[in-house]
Amino acid sequence: MSKAHHVGMAEMTVVSSPESLVTLGLGSCIGLVLYDQTAKVAGMAHIMLPDSRGAKEKALEKPGKFADTAIPLLIEQVCRRGAVRSRLKAKMAGGSQMFALPGAQTDFLAVGSRNSAETTEILKKMGISLVASDTGGNKGRTVEFSTQTWMLSVRVLGKGTSEI
Amino acid sequence: MDPSSLTNLQLDALRELGNIGAGNAATALSIMLSCFVDMDVPKAVPVSIYDLAEYYGDPMEMVSAVFVRSEGEFTCSLIFIQNTEEGNRLVDLLISKQMEGMDPADVPDEMRDSALTEIGNIILSSFLNAINVLIGGAHSISVPGLAHDMLGSILDVVASIYGQFGEFALIVDTSLKIGGEEGGVSGKVVMLPDPGSFEVLLGKLQVL
Repeated sequence: MSKAHHVGMAEMTVVSSPESLVTLGLGSCIGLVLYDQTAKVAGMAHIMLPDSRGAKEKALEKPGKFADTAIPLLIEQVCRRGAVRSRLKAKMAGGSQMFALPGAQTDFLAVGSRNSAETTEILKKMGISLVASDTGGNKGRTVEFSTQTWMLSVRVLGKGTSEI
Repeated sequence: MDPSSLTNLQLDALRELGNIGAGNAATALSIMLSCFVDMDVPKAVPVSIYDLAEYYGDPMEMVSAVFVRSEGEFTCSLIFIQNTEEGNRLVDLLISKQMEGMDPADVPDEMRDSALTEIGNIILSSFLNAINVLIGGAHSISVPGLAHDMLGSILDVVASIYGQFGEFALIVDTSLKIGGEEGGVSGKVVMLPDPGSFEVLLGKLQVL
């Protein structure tokens, strides 16, 4: 087994083949992977919120927290490790809404769908093709990205593991 | 107010609030199940949202969680969280106490989930009621939501809620032990006040 790097909340990690990237227990957060198969480089971000507008200065010390600050920085970091921007592809999982409370003021509980919508939108704007995604629903996900098969395995309790 | 800037006196006040809330919740549970319910000393700790996922241990642990939101002057999130196996045993206990002659194994999953949601709802509503009596004002509580999932995913949701306010969440939690030492069931009552409601709370307790 090659080394697996754990990507914590709001963190970003870049690895080279054959190492892998893991995030345990995604809820409304997004696990986004950008990779270049030719350069054998991949990076993962654990995105918590859709956008940094209105966030306090202190929050910006963790650019991995927001989709709009995480994605440009992750592109920069994988490219610094040898990836070529035009070859970058993306895969993502997460963004579920685990608790639905009918009638409650729950805009902030629906943050999962906003996370995936915003991430998709930013990738499109930056011209990176999103080749696979598994988002939404009401279950948590544990994801692992292999830099040998370039597949993102998504584990859901009670449903087993799927590869995208 | 940022939870990380709370003074020791203020944290003490919040801990006492947790004590009053959990005491009321334990009483309600004890009456409903007609058995002993013990509680430990509550904790009030500001936790960085980035460390939340691992705050209660293994993020891959399978847990059952009931979640409600309190709205009004004092807004907060309340969660009753248990290891899924313990949750199953709590439902068994309720069924055997309240539905005489019924074998818990014969009860369909949907009904078990509904029972667990209702136990959680009663615990969390009793917790909140005690606080309401103490600080006054009008409050409403949302419909409860139930999830059986990875501990890390549940806390990930909590982190994204409190991440919208700042970098810290204040966790006020109390462990309940239901039905004595032998074959007892444990669970945790967790209250997370929204940063905007600290002022309300601490003002009423005169420790602002």
